[in-house]
Amino acid sequence: MNGLFFALLGASIATALAGFGSAKGVGSAAQAAMGVLSEDPSKFGKMLVLTLLPGTQGLYGFIVAFLILVNCGVLGGTLPTLGQGLAFAGASLAIGIGGMVSGFAQGNAAVSGIAMSAKDDKNFSKAMVSITLVEIYALLSFIVSLLVVISVPGINI
Amino acid sequence: MKSVNIVGLKKDRKALLEHLQNSGLMMIKKSDKPAEGFSKTDMSSQMQIFEKNVTVTQQALKTLESFAPEKKGLLSSFAGRREIDPDEIGVIATGAGEIIKICNEINRLNKQLADNTAEQVRIKTALVQLEPWQKLDIPLSTDDTKTTAVFIGSLPKQYDEITLSGELAQENPQLVFDFEIQFSSKDMTCIVLFTPLSQKAMAQEVLRNLGFAKPLAHTSHTPKEKTQRLNMKSQKLFEESEEAKAQIISYANRREDIKNTQDYFRIRADKYNVISELDQTKHVFALSGYVPEEDCKALKDMCERVACCYIEFDEVDEEDTPVKLKNNKFSEPAQSIVNMYSTPSHGDIDPTPILAFFFYFFFGMMFSDAGYGLVMIVAIGIILKVFKPEKNMHNNLKLFQYCGVSTVIWGLIFGSIFGDAPAAFYNAFTGADITMAELLPWPTLDPQKDALLLMVVSIAFGLVHILIGMGCKFYICFRRKDYMGAFCDTGLWMLMLAGFAILAVGMITTKLVMYIGVGIAAASALGLVLTQGRHKKGILGKAIGGIASLYDITSYISDLLSYSRLLALGLTTGVMAQVFNMLSTMLGTSIPGIVFMVVIFIVGHLVTIGLNALGSYVHTMRLQYVEMFSKFYEGGGKPFEPFSLNSKYFRTKNSK
Repeated sequence: MNGLFFALLGASIATALAGFGSAKGVGSAAQAAMGVLSEDPSKFGKMLVLTLLPGTQGLYGFIVAFLILVNCGVLGGTLPTLGQGLAFAGASLAIGIGGMVSGFAQGNAAVSGIAMSAKDDKNFSKAMVSITLVEIYALLSFIVSLLVVISVPGINI
Repeated sequence: MKSVNIVGLKKDRKALLEHLQNSGLMMIKKSDKPAEGFSKTDMSSQMQIFEKNVTVTQQALKTLESFAPEKKGLLSSFAGRREIDPDEIGVIATGAGEIIKICNEINRLNKQLADNTAEQVRIKTALVQLEPWQKLDIPLSTDDTKTTAVFIGSLPKQYDEITLSGELAQENPQLVFDFEIQFSSKDMTCIVLFTPLSQKAMAQEVLRNLGFAKPLAHTSHTPKEKTQRLNMKSQKLFEESEEAKAQIISYANRREDIKNTQDYFRIRADKYNVISELDQTKHVFALSGYVPEEDCKALKDMCERVACCYIEFDEVDEEDTPVKLKNNKFSEPAQSIVNMYSTPSHGDIDPTPILAFFFYFFFGMMFSDAGYGLVMIVAIGIILKVFKPEKNMHNNLKLFQYCGVSTVIWGLIFGSIFGDAPAAFYNAFTGADITMAELLPWPTLDPQKDALLLMVVSIAFGLVHILIGMGCKFYICFRRKDYMGAFCDTGLWMLMLAGFAILAVGMITTKLVMYIGVGIAAASALGLVLTQGRHKKGILGKAIGGIASLYDITSYISDLLSYSRLLALGLTTGVMAQVFNMLSTMLGTSIPGIVFMVVIFIVGHLVTIGLNALGSYVHTMRLQYVEMFSKFYEGGGKPFEPFSLNSKYFRTKNSK
């Protein structure tokens, strides 16, 4: 028995959970942004930037999933052993859960940031930087997942 | 920055102020009280008129925009304000009265439209209420006759002749009545009821018990006639509205004039604001402000050319002196990034050159694709050529063009040209199986394969970045003669970080280097423990303060780790590009396959560029603001805001 199932499970976890976090984050940010835009459509560019900020978690999840697929015999590489499959699944939990929760949190931060920069354009860069403070945790999760995923094919388990 | 005082004759005031405003050379200093012997003129009533005119034109433009939207190109926002000759302002001024009349007319028409719409809604409601009474041939408000009481109204139930007369008789058997049912539906019956006048009170009682209600629409016409009248009125209102709309649209060709007029009044409001700030006597006025050093001569020449005046310059170096950043071509575009954070304060150094270099460097590393970088350089080059944007926009675009150059360089280092497009297409068409590393003649660093190495490199860049930030702090403290602050607070930490870096190098090279690193780190830690508690009282306080300061190491570690985003975002770009290349070659190399390939390639890479350029921009900015600026930059200075044409739609040729 090989570990393909677990590898694919990992890919799904990474994409779906991180995507869930981003979807919710971007969704609530977009709602707030549309409220602002109904008053002042000229703010579209800035609102777009703030709305997209919680969107990166989904991308990170997707990239981890893609690297798993490239390494597990679906889009390239060789079929993983059971141990390697489990390792892929384990690695994907980091970005899956970390991405999801930080996506929620970043969405909330983005909503406040949008309210802040709606009041005064000068607040925009401060709002932007404050929102990206959340992102570091998604990034750390991503890097852990990533380092594991790219080293799994070389591990003999 | 120099302070400047100008004293001139009152008759030259208008000309001088206009030239100052056009040139935008000087910032006017505001003061609350006039100097001795001078007084200030109150201009608020004039300013109010100008500001009202601005509002009127804004409303008119908004109305015009909703009925006759202006056709704008997608990229036209790059073009900025229209450039006009300074003399044209005079022409605009003569037409201003007429334009304001037109604007008032547009606003009146717009109000009429709103009123008409409200009226039409009212008519519609009335028509609905009249609907059940269409068969009635007397007016709804018919009164009692000499002998008969008339009740016209509705009951909240369905009745027919038999059930209603039964119900009425049951309520009061003595009541004599006759009625006609006009309309009957599931929850409403409209009736006309006649009783002898003598029984009116009785009938009222009975009807009340049944829930009788009079119709809302009171009219002296029969319902049918009323309906016709209302319909006619509605039609008339509709025609009126259409006419008003057409009339508004007919003013669309005056849009440019309205815009110009709006700017004209905006400029005048600004000018009068300055006039109310001036110190004046009967014949002269005095004006003080700031001017950048390099513009002193231009200002002096201009003032002496247009007016008879005395002008003097003075050195200023105070807390509240405004700050104008001045940089060379390479770092000038990054000034907007500095200003977005905060203008440097009096004690700060201008961080723009350092920020500019690292901004380009980090952006390139995160975006890291030669193809995308080239797209940025070329697209921005075309925009700059075609639209000739204004200075601010020009600088912003330049910023991204320089970032594009760095992106190309990093893309070549990472072996990424539209992701792995060259290799992917080569493989798709020839059936070969090569990678970008094999295809490119120079050695590349693949972030996917050498992620760990790249992470170390990223953090090393971060260390350099942070050390330079701390170096700035060192320099600032040194300049302030705060030697303890420079050597102990900043210098020791720099040594400590350097010690750790040497230690890390030692771990992969020789033991000796490692020991040197440990030695430096330990020595600087000892130094920190000894010095950081120096503001505390008592030996114990000093000792605890010193030891506690070592805890700051955690913040340095988290700062350094933050630079791992350089790897993460670089990888994101590469992988996304690779995914779209893979998708585009999926259908093979048949004719439909190639069409599919081209479409997916273009759309996919545009998406990648959009998402990742945004990500790179935001995260580069964060690294500058949070990781580096926090080390030395205070900000909070007053920006240099010259008295200039603060207009929205036009600018004069010589204004900045």
